[in-house]
Parts: sequence; C-alpha cells; structure tokens
Amino acid sequence: MSPRRIPSRPGELIDRSTTVSFTWNGRAFTGHQGDTIASALAAAGVEIFSRSMKYHRRRGIFSANHWDPNLSVQVGDEPNVRAGSRRLLEGMQVSAQNVWPSLRFDLGTANQLVGRFLSAGFYYKTFMRPQFLWHSLYQRILRKFAPGGRIHWNTSTHGAYDKRYAHPDVLIAGGGPAGMAAALSAAEAGATVMLVEQEPELGGHLRWGANDDLEVLADLRSAVEASPGIEVLVDSTVSGRYDHNWIAINQRSHPLAPERLIKARAGSLVVAPGLIERPYVFAGNDTPGVMLAGAVRRLTNLWAVRPGDRAVVLTASSEGDSAVADLESAGVEIVEVLDARSGADIVKVDGRGRVRKVHLGDGRTLAADLVVTATGWTAPTSLLNMAGDRPVYDPVAARYFPHALPDNVLATGGITGDGSIAELLAHGRETGELAAARALRIRHDVLTTTARSTSPKGPRPETVPDDRIPLRRVPHPECYRSSTHGLVDFSEDISSKDLMQAASEGFDSIELMKRYTTVTMGPSQGKLETVNAASVLAEARQVDMADVGTTVWRPPFSPISLGALAGRIFEPVRRSALQDWHEANGAVNLLAGQWVRPDRYGDPMAEALNVRNNVGLIDVTPLGKLDLRGPDVPKLLELVYVNRWQKLKVGRVRYGAMVGEDGVVSDDGVTGRLAKDHYLMTTTSSGAGAVWEMLEDWLQTYRSDWEVHVTPVTGGLTSINVAGPRSRDLLERLVGGVDLSADAFPYFSVRTGTVAGVADCIIWRIGFTGELSYELHVPSGHALHVWESLLATGSDLGAAPFGVEAQRILRLEKGHYIVGQDTDGLSKAPTAGLAGLVKLDKEDTVGLPELRAAFDRTDLPVLVGLQPDDPTVVPEEACQIVAGDSNEILGRVTSSRMSPTLGRSICLAQVDPKLAAAGTSVTVKLVDGSRITATVQEHHAHLDPEGERQRV
Amino acid sequence: MSRHGYRYSAGKLLKHGVTRGDWPRMWSKPERRDSYDVVIVGGGLHGLATAYYLAKNHGITNVAVVDKGYLGGGGSGRNTAIVRSNYLTPEGVAFYDRSLQLYNTMASDLNLNVMLSRRGHLTLAHTDSALRTMTWRAEVNKLLDIDSSVIDPEEVKRLTPSLDVSSDTRYPILGALYHPPGGIVRHDAVVWGYARAADHLGVHLLQDTEVLDISCSGGDGPDGKGPGGRVTGVRTSRGDISAPVVVNCTAGWASLISNMAGVPLAITTHPLQAAVTEPCKVFLPTVVVSGSLHVYVSQTDRGELVFGASVDPIGTYRVNGTLEFTEELAGHVLELMPGISKMRLMRQWSGLCDMTPDYSPIMGFTAVDGYLVDVGWGTYGFKAGPVAGETMAETIATGRTADLIASFGIERFTEGDLVGEKGAAAVGH
Repeated sequence: MSPRRIPSRPGELIDRSTTVSFTWNGRAFTGHQGDTIASALAAAGVEIFSRSMKYHRRRGIFSANHWDPNLSVQVGDEPNVRAGSRRLLEGMQVSAQNVWPSLRFDLGTANQLVGRFLSAGFYYKTFMRPQFLWHSLYQRILRKFAPGGRIHWNTSTHGAYDKRYAHPDVLIAGGGPAGMAAALSAAEAGATVMLVEQEPELGGHLRWGANDDLEVLADLRSAVEASPGIEVLVDSTVSGRYDHNWIAINQRSHPLAPERLIKARAGSLVVAPGLIERPYVFAGNDTPGVMLAGAVRRLTNLWAVRPGDRAVVLTASSEGDSAVADLESAGVEIVEVLDARSGADIVKVDGRGRVRKVHLGDGRTLAADLVVTATGWTAPTSLLNMAGDRPVYDPVAARYFPHALPDNVLATGGITGDGSIAELLAHGRETGELAAARALRIRHDVLTTTARSTSPKGPRPETVPDDRIPLRRVPHPECYRSSTHGLVDFSEDISSKDLMQAASEGFDSIELMKRYTTVTMGPSQGKLETVNAASVLAEARQVDMADVGTTVWRPPFSPISLGALAGRIFEPVRRSALQDWHEANGAVNLLAGQWVRPDRYGDPMAEALNVRNNVGLIDVTPLGKLDLRGPDVPKLLELVYVNRWQKLKVGRVRYGAMVGEDGVVSDDGVTGRLAKDHYLMTTTSSGAGAVWEMLEDWLQTYRSDWEVHVTPVTGGLTSINVAGPRSRDLLERLVGGVDLSADAFPYFSVRTGTVAGVADCIIWRIGFTGELSYELHVPSGHALHVWESLLATGSDLGAAPFGVEAQRILRLEKGHYIVGQDTDGLSKAPTAGLAGLVKLDKEDTVGLPELRAAFDRTDLPVLVGLQPDDPTVVPEEACQIVAGDSNEILGRVTSSRMSPTLGRSICLAQVDPKLAAAGTSVTVKLVDGSRITATVQEHHAHLDPEGERQRV
Repeated sequence: MSRHGYRYSAGKLLKHGVTRGDWPRMWSKPERRDSYDVVIVGGGLHGLATAYYLAKNHGITNVAVVDKGYLGGGGSGRNTAIVRSNYLTPEGVAFYDRSLQLYNTMASDLNLNVMLSRRGHLTLAHTDSALRTMTWRAEVNKLLDIDSSVIDPEEVKRLTPSLDVSSDTRYPILGALYHPPGGIVRHDAVVWGYARAADHLGVHLLQDTEVLDISCSGGDGPDGKGPGGRVTGVRTSRGDISAPVVVNCTAGWASLISNMAGVPLAITTHPLQAAVTEPCKVFLPTVVVSGSLHVYVSQTDRGELVFGASVDPIGTYRVNGTLEFTEELAGHVLELMPGISKMRLMRQWSGLCDMTPDYSPIMGFTAVDGYLVDVGWGTYGFKAGPVAGETMAETIATGRTADLIASFGIERFTEGDLVGEKGAAAVGH
C-alpha cells in the first residue's frame, strides 16, 4: 500500500502506529497521523495531483508545503485545500479539482493542442465578432474553464467560526529558529509573547534538518514550552498587519471552531517567516517529478517518502547539497549533481506524467525520474509591505531585503540575511530583546496616559538603540531562467515566453504585465512567482532587476476563509420593552431597519377606525430620541433645523426639519423644551443614528466650544402614542400632576408627570394621526406596566392597540409626509412643502446656501394630495405620473392607501409644478401598464385639513 | 506590417500561433513634443476615452495623455467593473444608457475584446421601503425603454440559486430590481482598448510623467492662476509642455491637480475597498447588489468572487485597507449566501474616490480659460467612462458644453443647484 514509504527517519512527523483511512477520487487509501494529504498519497505512489489551469497539464508535488501550486484539492465540501500542508484526518474525501471527466482522462487536455494559439491575453484579441456569439457561446465556454474547487452552496457553516482579541507585547510571525529565539528573549525581558507558526509544529527548517538541527530544535521547543510568558499558536497564520500593529491571525484546527480569527494589538511585531524557495524556469519545469530541493527534503525527512528513484540535482546553494544527502540516505540514486555556481544548467525536461529525460546545458541528456532544483530564495515580505516597507533587491544575494521599517515592526531570520543556525538564533535573540524593550515602553505609556485600574511598575523603560549585528548576505548567483522558456506562474499557466510577449506588446511595467498576463494573480499571490516574473521583465527590458520594481503584496498573507472573517453571526435586532407583549397578543411583525415592530394585530382598517372613533395605542419606541442638555442647545437647534428655535419656551414643543448640505430634506421630528437647559429631540426611526452622529460631528469638530451634551435615549424611553377622541378621557384616569385640560395643556406642549404611578414620564401633546393625541415617553423598565394599565383602564373607552400599517393609513388621511418616502434623495425643502417653515434670513443653518437657491426656483416638484377618480383603485406606491398617453414623466405617487374613514383611495404624490394646482387632472401609469386619471387636491390632508380634530 | 492600424482577429491569432511571430506593441512609446493642442492629465479610463474621442470624432490628434505611473493604475483598475443603466432619474438614465451603448459595441469599435458580460444585475430589497425604491426605479426605467423590473424572491432564487431567500433571515430578500443588460466588463481591457485606439490615431501616451504644476497666466491668484486667467501648459517631471487646453481626469487626486490651476473643487477623497476570493467553479451567474448590507458581488470568468462595499467614511489618500472591512464584508456576504463560508479571501485592495457633496461629477469648463475638469466621479466612474470621454471630447472640440453633461458644471456649487443621483448612485453598483 505504501511503496514509497522508507524506513523510519529521525525527524519524521508520522506516527507509524496509527492508520488513517481516506479516499482519493473515490478510491480508498490509508496514511498515518502526521501525514499531509499529499505525503500520504505520495507514499502510496500517487504522482499526479491536479491539472493545470489553462492547458490541463498533469501536475505533481512541487514544493510540498502550503505554497505548492499543484496541490489544491477538494476535501468534502471544502474547495482549494492545500494538500501540501493540510494534515490527514480520518474519513477525508479528497478529490482532484478542475478535471473533467477525471484526473487521468481530462478532456481539458485538448487545450494543449491549441496552446500555441492561446498566448498571453489571447482572449482580448478575438471573439469580437459577431458580438452576440461572445455572450451566448464563447464566454460560457470560457467560464466552464474557471479553475478551483466546487462550492457546495447548499450546506452552510456560517456562524460556526469564532473570534478572539489579544494584546501581546510582542507578536512573532514565524516559529522557526529565529522566531523561537526571539520569543524566548522577549519573554525573558518581561514581555508577553504570542508566537505564531503556520505549520502544525514549531521549528521551521530545523524540522527537516540533520541530527544536530533536530537537537537544537528539541532544546528550543522545551525552552518555549517552559516559558510561561509565551503563548504558542501553531497551524495559525498571521494574515495581515494593519495600522498601529493591528494584527489578524487565522487560527485553524481550534477545538471549538473550524477557524478562529484572532485580532491582536501588538506592541511590537517581529516578522520571521523564513524564506520561500524559488522555482527555476526551463522547458518542462512543471513536469511531475520536477521538485524544489525543500520539497524532497520535507518528503524524505518529515514524512519518510522517497520522492523518486533516479535524481538529477541542479544546485546553486547549500540547500541543494543538503537535498543530495537526504536523497542518498533515502535510497535515491543520484544520477548527477549540477552546480549552477559553476555554470551547469538544465535546459529541458522530457516526460508526460513523469520526468523521463533531462537535457543539460552542455548538450548531454540524462535519464531520470526526479529533477531537483535549488536556485534561490524569495523573501516573503508581505507583512513588511503591509507596514509600509518597499523591499530592495540585492543582486549579490539575488533576493529582496527589508528596507525601512517602522519602530514597532522588526524582522529577523532568513528574510533579513543568511547565517548558521547559531547566527540565526543570535539575531533572533537580539531582535526579541529589542522588540520587548520597545513594546514595554509602549505598554508603560499606555498605562500612564489612560485611566487604568493598574499603574505601570517602575520608571519608563529607556529607548534601546538597534545595535543588532546584521545577518550576512551570502553571495548567490542570479539563477532565474535557463536558455529555454518555462513556466513562471504554475497556478496561472504563465510561461516566461508569455511574459516576454507581454513586454514586447507594451506591458512593460510590472503592474501592467501582471494585469495583462495574470501572472502572480493566483492563490499564492506571487509567493513563488513574483521574483521570476520581475527577472523576465528585467531581461525583456534589458535593465537591472532593481529597476523593475515589484507589485505590492496586500493582505492577506495567505487566503483566509469568509467564515473565519465573518465569525459568529452578529446581526442583532432591536426590540422595544413591549415587543414580547405585542407578540403574545397576535402582532404580525415588520422588520424596519434595526427594529422589529408590530405591523398589525388584526385588521389594520379596523385599527385605524378605532383611533378615529375611540382611542388607540401604538408603540413608537423606534422613534429616535436624543436628550440634549446645556446652555447652547438653542444654538445647536438653530444650526441643524431649518426653522427658528431661540424663543422656544419651557413646556413647549416644536416641529423641525433638517436638510443636508445639498438642501435635500434629511430628517424631521419634534423637539420639546423640558427645562431651562434641557431638551428632548425626536428624529425619524431610520435617522436616529445618523442624526446623533451629525450632532456629535458638529459638537466635537466644528463647534467644540458649545456647551451641549447629547445622550441618545431611544431605547431608554419607551414611547407610546395614545390617539383618538377619547385619549384625554383615558389619560385623565391615569396621569398625575398634570392638568390635561385643553387650556392648561394645549397642542404642541410638553409636561412631565406621573402615569399609572410611574414618575418622570414625559408627555407631549402632538399628533401624527390627526386626532387628539398624546405621546408618552416612559422609562422603559416600567413601560409594560403603563401599557397594560392604559389598555385595562380604557377598556370601556374602546382602547386597543394599533400597528404601523394603521398608523400609515391614519397619517396619509391626515396628509403628513414621511421623510424618505414622500421625499427622496432629490427632494429639496420646497418640494416637501416647507416654504412656511424655512427661515432664509437665519445666520447659519446646515444647507442654507442651497435652500436660498432652491426657493428661487420654480421648477422643483411639488408634493400634493391626490385622489384617483375611480375611488376603488389604489395605485401602487412609486408608480409614475405621466403626460397623457406619452412616456414623459411628470411625477410619481409616493404614498397610497384605501382610506377606511373616507371609503376611497387616497395618495400623496410628487408632481411637476405645472400640475400642482388643486383640481388638476393627472394621468397615473400603474405597474401593470394601465393608465388611470386622478385629481390633485387642495391640501395634503384628505381629512380635516383645518386640524379641528387634534386641537380640541 | 505597419504598427498603426494592426487589427486583432481570430485569423491573426492563428497566424501568430503558427508563425510564432511577435505581436506589435499595443501602443507606442512616443517622443514627447514641447507642445500639444490638448494635454489630458490622468491616463485612466476617462483620460484615455477623452483622448480617443477627440481624435476619432473630432479629428483632434495633437493630444497627450500624461500619467505619473502606468496606464489604468488608479480607479480604472481597482473598481469592481460593473456596468448598468437602471438609474433613478431620466437624466441619469440617459447618461448611463449612452455609456452602456458604447460598452455594447466597444469590442468591435476598439478592436479589442473587453469581455462585456451582460449577465443580469440584481439589486436586492430587504425592506418594504427598499422595495418601493426598486419599484420607482423600475417604473422610470420602463418608461425610458430600459429593461428593468421588480421580481419576487422565487424569481431571484431561480436566477441566482446560491442566494438564501428564506423569510426567517435577518435581512430577508423581499424582491429585487432585475436589470438584464447590466453586467461586468474586463476593466483593464477597456483601458488598453482606448489606449491602443487613441495611440493608433496619433495620440501620445506619456507614462511615468508626473504633472508638477499647471501653468497659467492672467488669473486673479498667484502666478497668474485662478479665475480670469488662462492655461498655458503643464510642468512635468520630464519637462515643460505647452498647451492651450489642459483637462483634469485624475479622480482621487483631482482636487490636488485642480489647485495647481487655482480652481478649488468641492471634492473630498475617500478610499473604497474591494476584495477578491480564490477561484471556484462558476456558481454565481448574476451581479448581486445589496444596498442595505453595503455589498456587491460578482464572479469573474476566472471563478473568483469580486466584492465591493461603500466608501470608507474617513477621507484619506492612503490605500492600505482595513481588517474591519473584510470582516464586515464577509459577514454580510454570508448573510446573503451562507453556503460560501469556505471560500477564501485572497486579496483586498482599495482605490481613491473623488466624492462631491451631491454624488454627481464635475464636468466641463472652469473659471480658468482652457482648463477643463472631468472629476468627482466618486464610486461610479467606471460605468460612465465611455460617455464621459465622448462628451468631454465634444465639449473641448466645440467649445460648448455637451447637452448630456449640462447639469454637471462646476458653477452649481456657487449658484446653488446641486444635482443628484444620490438615491441611485450612493448605494448599489
């Protein structure tokens, strides 16, 4: 079953006493605990893992780690799983992606036959005529060739993920030797440390090293484990670094969630990701059996898999030399070692499905089934990019190095230079000390400058100079491409020839080349490909690498699931203190913005009539409520409302409307003066948040000298509107300390009193329904008592609850407009009929210049009352008012209902000013296309325009 | 074969495939002249389209497009590539419908496949008020012959099966505005198509040429800048260029460039963030927009999901992006499509949006003679690019503001006549 598994290795990760069963393309396989999906399959002799994106070429193991471009597989309902790093689990159903009908017989291979016609950007140059074929045929075919796994959108794990916050002094990205040494020294210096490693175990490249490396690793691990100041997170990736060291960590294999997003505010970030091996570009470099040196070292030493039988090794560094030793010890015949440092080269590999022959630069041909290259490194500087650094190319070492980092970001390990294990450890230790010193200074400052329960111990730590001894830069040949063309981007099937062509077509900046060819746009985002792409461009332009520049690495460092980013589902709904009562009493709910509220309890027409005839109660808690205190409140009201507020007396309320800087009506409501320096402002339900933010914006930024304190009290006060001709009778039975008589408590007044024994209730006499009505603002803790008392006490008066739908009918009968429904994003103040309200001679009001201009205009739409000539037809809201039989638009119906009081349909509408005169007949085009006539009314109000019902 | 007028076709693709011959450059690397009839600042979609239509429709070819970086490096290559014309006002519809017409024939007009995909555009309604706005838009659209209608949740599900249309969600899908001609375009290809076509007509594309100042004379301000003056040229990082007409097409940097001419703009610059996932087999056939959830999503022909959201509230020129954006985005997308939680976000980025107070562009002449602007495009510059280029070219060539852009003049900020597509443009892309 495991023809390629070799005898036990000192550093192997597999537990040979275990058996893990799984399937691959439907066939049963086994591996051991500690295997990756790829290592278990490779041990069983599997050589082909995927088909390439464009040409569907067979692909095998290439880098045998997280970045392997050929090892994306489907596992159950999870697409694009990295089989090179994902550990094997019992029962996994693994299958190849992007193949049809199967991995072995893939019809997409046909693309290889026409490959020469599918050069970079070929799709931009054809399929242009006939145009309809592009939509109906070509694009459909192209979309079938989209790569990647399958999404099972019928099953969901949304909400199963979790999040966590952390505040380490020092956060270390990378658990190799330098990162571990940094963690130890930072912890010794007194810092709290979070050590994050992408692989499931610490150690980095020590893990596949020789025996002395393994000894160092064992010592480091036990030291880290013994250090109480270090939290180790393995199988976790630092996926992003944002401003002020706000760090995102994607923690996989957490016991309670498939993935967890840890958000950490770190004092210092130490970036120690090591190096990523760079592929070599030559003809056939994606043939299965061509591997990076690191791949064969990991396969043999970590998973005891013999990667081939006869190997040719091309090496430009000690990594290749070590690979040779590992292969020999695994029983692989070394056909030849080619030293790139002395000019040896591979120009071509032959073989379909597996390497067969290797053509050398000196003209010889060797038979082999394994080609190993060690031709250089890419420094994964993503996290440094995110911290603002632009790494610089060093031609001597043939790779990029960090350039200028902010104080709170430090780099160590291979990303900064080369060295022996001892040198790497020393640099790591010094970096950890420096990171701790800087972080502890930050911690001290935070504790002294903000109010905390603990104060810092000791004096402020001194600034520590950065006197680390830099790591060396070992000279390395610039090995990028052989004399032949080969693949640069394995995930995107982009060859060096494609890149050359793009450059010659004018896409000769790295950014344009990327966009034209899609090089580096695949899942690894250039971790393997970026430097080779830059080298090809430099070659094409005949300039130095340093002059080409690079594309910018952006978050995330490696892809992170949407589930993890979303975390638990947190989409709360606001409920008033009475909502339970509503639901227990038959309410049909309505989702209105943040709130859930009763739309109706029974028949809304009957509920409306009960308000007209008796008394009704509605819960209007979502109404925005802002408590305003301070001597400068009148100034603020003058600023944000279009009307005047300086002379509002204690005990009075006033209607106000707000407009934006563009003169468009943005909100409205009433504000009452409760005491000398105390006001209560109400806003629309949907505008509650925006108005509060707007007030704070003014008070905190532009008018910071004004003495006003704003407190949102929307949920703290439960608002109950008691409306109907018998509302006063009802309240007189329950209200204490307030004379409710018409003379003592006139329309548009406010009083504070006791309701049903509850003190400090604010009562204002206003009305949205057109009836005598009172709005009670009751402390929410007592709201249910007040509500039930009103209903019980008023049962003989006909007191009954009504919902939003009845209220909409009532307000439309009365002709009250709703901001955002009867006005819109284009409605300036005159359209809303605010001519009488707006005071253009005020000193300052938000939107005043636009208001002045708007009132000079005669072409703005006008809001009017409208009644269909056929009283049984209710036009749909938003249907258009047109000119006769033409399609010329002259307005629209903004609100419409059947009026139970009048027994006919009624509307509010915005119309062209030439149609605004009372008695004008207009044509309304219904949604079904038919046209009806309707007549413009004298008033917005269809009922009681003089307001006699509400002033009694 | 001469480079100019080299046409792409399936036949050419075959020929190059057989002969392995080199393709000619898409655009040349011209020697900079000391003077041009028109200098356009900004080598993005708007600048290149303006140059192309100047040459194509009006025979004005002594034109330079200057850019401090590479072609299409700003908003043109950072947007989410959505096109549509289902706007809320007759003026908005007329303008964007012309743009969509130009997109429809662009591939053959420019001889470059811009991969327009008219796959259908869904704007979801989660509240009854949103549904009312959708009805409003649909009714206006129908009267103006735009294919647009309100559909019910079952129809939404039929068109886009991965959407959760059940009624017990936090943001139930009550219906949608369906606009079949809406879709996406390969945005970079549009830039290259205009660049190549303009180059073939003789326009000079000057990359890596940063405008350092706009030279003026006779104006009220310092150095002859400001109202009453006239433009004489630009100073660039590669030398001075004289020109009687200078056009500002610089999107996120528009106000900084405009200050060089002494013409302040009512513009603030805000980043707009976007993100893309790893590829998966195609499962999302339409463009889906949710205004309430501030998200829009489509799947590219490569299988990636491309997401956008609303502009960041804080003005800045930085394009770093935030973690919170991706968290909120993922949460909202999964509310719509809970089955895609295992897709992985691969890259996030942001672009700069030049926002005006009324969410409408600023186009045409200014108080400085010869200095024109095509700016303030906020979050909707991509879909308007072709018509903006066409109307700006007409305005420059005729010396008279084109009818379609008459309401977008800079004078509206002082005369108090802000226009607006706020209801349609501020949400939904």
